[in-house]
Amino acid sequence: MLQDLINAVALGSIYLLFALGMSLAWGTIGILNFAHGSIFMFSAFTAYLIVNAVKLPLVAVILIAAIAGAVMSVAVQVLAFEPILRRAKDSRAAEMQILIGGIGVAGVPLAIAQHYTKSNPFGFTNSSFKVDTFDLGGVRITSVQIIIIALALVLGVGIARWLQVSRHGLALRSIGVDPEVSSIMGVDRRRLALTTMTIAGALAGLAGALLTYNLGALTPESGETLILKAFAAIVVGGVGSMAGVVVGSYVLAIAETVVLTQTSGLWVDAVSFGLIFLVLMFRTQGLFGRREVRRT
Amino acid sequence: MSGRLGGLLRGGTALFTAGLLLTAAACGDSAGDTGSSGSSASLPSEIKVVSTNPETGAAAFAGLAANKGYEVAIQEINDQHYLGANTKLVLDKQDTTGKIQTAASQATSAVADKSYTAIFGSVSSQESVAQAPIADKSKMPIIFTQAGSDGVVIGDYTFRVTPPMSSYYPKIADYIKAQHITKLAIIYAAWTPTLKEIGEKTLPGLASQAGFTVVSSIGTQQTTQDFTAPISQALAKQPDGIAILQVGAANPTAMTQLRQAGYKGPVLGNSGASAGNLTPAGANGAGMTWVVDYSSQNKTESSDKFVALYQKKFPSETPLNYAAEAYDAAWLLARGIKEAGSADRTAIMQGMKKTASAGFTGAMGQLKFEGNDLRLPGVVVQWDGTKEILVTG
Repeated sequence: MLQDLINAVALGSIYLLFALGMSLAWGTIGILNFAHGSIFMFSAFTAYLIVNAVKLPLVAVILIAAIAGAVMSVAVQVLAFEPILRRAKDSRAAEMQILIGGIGVAGVPLAIAQHYTKSNPFGFTNSSFKVDTFDLGGVRITSVQIIIIALALVLGVGIARWLQVSRHGLALRSIGVDPEVSSIMGVDRRRLALTTMTIAGALAGLAGALLTYNLGALTPESGETLILKAFAAIVVGGVGSMAGVVVGSYVLAIAETVVLTQTSGLWVDAVSFGLIFLVLMFRTQGLFGRREVRRT
Repeated sequence: MSGRLGGLLRGGTALFTAGLLLTAAACGDSAGDTGSSGSSASLPSEIKVVSTNPETGAAAFAGLAANKGYEVAIQEINDQHYLGANTKLVLDKQDTTGKIQTAASQATSAVADKSYTAIFGSVSSQESVAQAPIADKSKMPIIFTQAGSDGVVIGDYTFRVTPPMSSYYPKIADYIKAQHITKLAIIYAAWTPTLKEIGEKTLPGLASQAGFTVVSSIGTQQTTQDFTAPISQALAKQPDGIAILQVGAANPTAMTQLRQAGYKGPVLGNSGASAGNLTPAGANGAGMTWVVDYSSQNKTESSDKFVALYQKKFPSETPLNYAAEAYDAAWLLARGIKEAGSADRTAIMQGMKKTASAGFTGAMGQLKFEGNDLRLPGVVVQWDGTKEILVTG
């Protein structure tokens, strides 16, 4: 039972690390970035290429992946999303075009990684960091799981607090509430959007590196699967609420673990995604979402 | 060095054989044999076949390897002038991208394109099941490899040059007995028809023969990336053997997390762990054992000949079972065309049926068919942490 709980918390932390950046961009600057999964994968892939050439420790691998993620995310913002935003007729059209644009952009790094790996799994076997397993009275947990849980909670709570109390955070939230008014009030939307995308990309890279260590391997398609889970976690928690995405990630992971341990496993997706349906039926803004934060 | 010398000698033998065949073909032509079975006189200068395989996506490792097998075989067929001095087999390749709809529409397009005489179907069961009825209803010969599920060989025009995994997987029973496995837990990818069948029917069906009971059976879905929960559930039943029946990256992940969970016993796998998929697991992957229809480690004359040909075209690569299957599939087609003496689709189907009925020697050994479906005994292989090794031949 305790092992199942540890597994659920670790799984929820994986979802949270992945979803944090996506939620941050969606909930503040209104960018629902469907290239987030590709950025996540390609950051890990970049680190994999470098680790293959040079033996590196965990911290260096994470840094490389985070930097790669940040660079890619900013590039996507500047080269794809900003032109879309400039040309879109209104905010509704822009949101739809960004969504489709993100899906299109995601195909490029995916194709490159698929071509290079031939869709074979890749991992950090050449890294000097080796995963340790600890046995705590019959409950086993790995060093990477501990790092993932700790980082997910620290970053989740930290980003939520940053948005609540810092000037930049408040400015970002004001964009999420009303971008035009926030501009009139002197908020530099472009600069904040680039900052947000940098943080979101770095978080994707961080998640990519840690998940590769945790799972042992990723494939070029790994990001596609996780983006669905992240989407679910954000919707359940409430778009625009960082506390929501934290809770949503753990609710989703616990639901999946309970279903998996109590059934044959075939109902995992049906039940976990059924949760989204239920939440949307009875609380359209999600568990922690506020109606006024939702963009129209 | 000796291997390369052997390859050169075999290459010389192949050239000599090709010369003999060319002479024989020329003699046949001069005898004025036009259209009778076995004649190549009425064949067009080009006979086109299209390979519809995933070159990208989760099953790309198998699709790309299969395409290499087709390339090796078709080059050999053309170099030997097997279909006659003036006839060449031409291979087109299309990427299904791992999508069922794309695979189906490519089959539909190939049927509509009269320049194609046959299709090499997808290695993916999900895609093949969609392609098979399209080809069969349209009387287009389609040859599948690897796609081992039901619903692939469904009529006269559908052939499969890979034995269904369920037909050779029982070979694992001896290994199970040798490892004294009495309580087996199964974690299987329920979203693939082939592995669902192995996990739910084939492996449990070996219980009385191999002396074990299935203590836990857990299906996973395509979205499952973290295996700690299913592994925890399986280990709760204290099994002394675990079957991990997964595809691609799920294999190294499941093996890594299984070892991290403290399990040190034997692990049964499936050919989805082949193609170096276990490499990222490092030492954690060692010990996974599974059955394949072909392994280049299994030294036989026909296999060695194929390996030499393959390595001549793709130096320093070791051919995977997917390539061997495709190589034999291309030869089934070539023999069928030669038997038909025509590029007509129905005639080729009939020619392939005759060839399958008689059987022939291919890369995978002596090939015997049940109807249009290949049967082979299989070989047991194990991952030692860096490469596959042969457990039984």
